[in-house]
Amino acid sequence: MGEFRFLLNGKVVTVKAPPCYTLLEVLRYVLRMTGTKEGCARGDCGECTVLLDGEPVHACLTVMTQVEGRSVTTIEGIDPQHPLVRAFVEAGAVQCGHCTPGLIISSYALLSRNPSPTEEEVREAIRGNLCRCTGYSKIVRAVLSAAGV
Amino acid sequence: MEVPLHDVDVLVPKNLTEALRILSERRDIRVLAGGTDLLVQLRSGAVSKSDLIDISRLQELRYIRHSDGYIAIGALTTYSDIAGSDIVRRYAPLLAEAAETVGSVQIMNKGTIGGNVINASPAADSLPPLYVLDAKLKLVSVDGTRAVGISDFYRGYKKLEIRPNELLAEVRLRAMGAGEVGHFFKHGLRQGDAISVVNGAVVLDLDGDKVVNAAIALGAVAPTVVRAPEAERVLKGKRLSEDVMWEASREVLKSISPIDDVRGSAAYRRELSVNYLYMTLWRLAREVGAL
Ligand SMILES: Cc1cc2nc3c(=O)[nH]c(=O)nc-3n(C[C@H](O)[C@H](O)[C@H](O)COP(=O)(O)OP(=O)(O)OC[C@H]3O[C@@H](n4cnc5c(N)ncnc54)[C@H](O)[C@@H]3O)c2cc1C
Ligand code: FES
Ligand code: FES
Repeated sequence: MGEFRFLLNGKVVTVKAPPCYTLLEVLRYVLRMTGTKEGCARGDCGECTVLLDGEPVHACLTVMTQVEGRSVTTIEGIDPQHPLVRAFVEAGAVQCGHCTPGLIISSYALLSRNPSPTEEEVREAIRGNLCRCTGYSKIVRAVLSAAGV
Repeated sequence: MEVPLHDVDVLVPKNLTEALRILSERRDIRVLAGGTDLLVQLRSGAVSKSDLIDISRLQELRYIRHSDGYIAIGALTTYSDIAGSDIVRRYAPLLAEAAETVGSVQIMNKGTIGGNVINASPAADSLPPLYVLDAKLKLVSVDGTRAVGISDFYRGYKKLEIRPNELLAEVRLRAMGAGEVGHFFKHGLRQGDAISVVNGAVVLDLDGDKVVNAAIALGAVAPTVVRAPEAERVLKGKRLSEDVMWEASREVLKSISPIDDVRGSAAYRRELSVNYLYMTLWRLAREVGAL
């Protein structure tokens, strides 16, 4: 068992967990924050995407020793009134919703870096986030509309 | 069935010296860098369970430097670091192209060049650029430092010239000169987040439209990445005409020995190799105004 301290959505947290537990396991099973989803647990689907020091990574491929002392942002850390969240709702970019937290996080990171992306740049930024329902068009439109382009 | 990893211990060395000491004392331990290969393999049971030494926080192994005609890249440098580096874009643009195609943004932010080299997949995307830019790998241990050329490092499918107590510290490449141009190419089964069915890299040293020197490497078509000396020979000393480029592209078949697997048949890979090499040469010829 290890003890890990990190910044989670702006607050310092300390958790006890086996050191090879993933950030995804800690979020869902230790902290009971189930906003971050598990699809594949092997880096393929992007559902578990969180920001680690501001950059999108897979929580399912990040172990706790890699989180110690760093800053993590999950979907719970994004304001529900954020323009990106509203754009997803308004564009109908959410169907079953399983992919949505990961997609919001990936697009949030894109817009922080590049506030007015092209469609191509949006598609590149979310290429690691699979959605089996929407066909992506509405997701891309939502991100572009949140960016005001 | 997923292998549970709750009983796996993860040691976190404070610096390189401590990491090397741990590696010399514990032979039953695996190195964890980004974890994008290793964690998947541990959980699926593809590799046996062992304790880990997490080197991912050793900032001293994360850098990109340029000096004396070389680019030195620390083993823990990520694909995002590489793709965003002005040094790489200027002196090894084809490595930046390769880095941009790796997996997804999430994988680019975490996967390291050292992990790609040591994981030793024949389809690894950083490797063809390393082969055409004559990479040397710097291996360190408590016993000292040694450098191994990339083609001597891979002795067969996942057979590496590295000792159990050694860590890969740095990848050193030749910086491309003013007359040199090159590209990386990759065929995946979809546009993003795909493992290469065939990949490769080409560097041409040109005098006008005449090829002074050529370096070509292909991946996913043999147990290791291979150079294509026959194709290189066809190009050397010639002007970049359509005929010469086709002849060189067909010669690539002499260097490859692809297999059938889930991503494609051997025949498909042979055809892709010829066509991608031709397309890449054609693109370079257009860019330098030879066509
Ligand atoms: C969804 C997904 C998509 C992917 N897409 C691609 C792709 O498009 N192209 C591609 O080439 N790869 C791809 N990969 C594979 C992987 O991301 C890369 O090979 C990556 O570079 C591995 O680096 P890492 O730091 O994560 O390595 P790790 O998983 O940490 O380690 C990999 C291996 O190298 C060893 N190791 C790592 N660093 C060192 C070191 N410095 N010294 C000694 N040993 C070391 C480890 O012990 C382990 O055996 C993908 C993986 C996933 C999960
Ligand atoms: S659960 Fe992490 S990528 Fe699928
Ligand atoms: S909305 Fe169902 S997977 Fe995207």
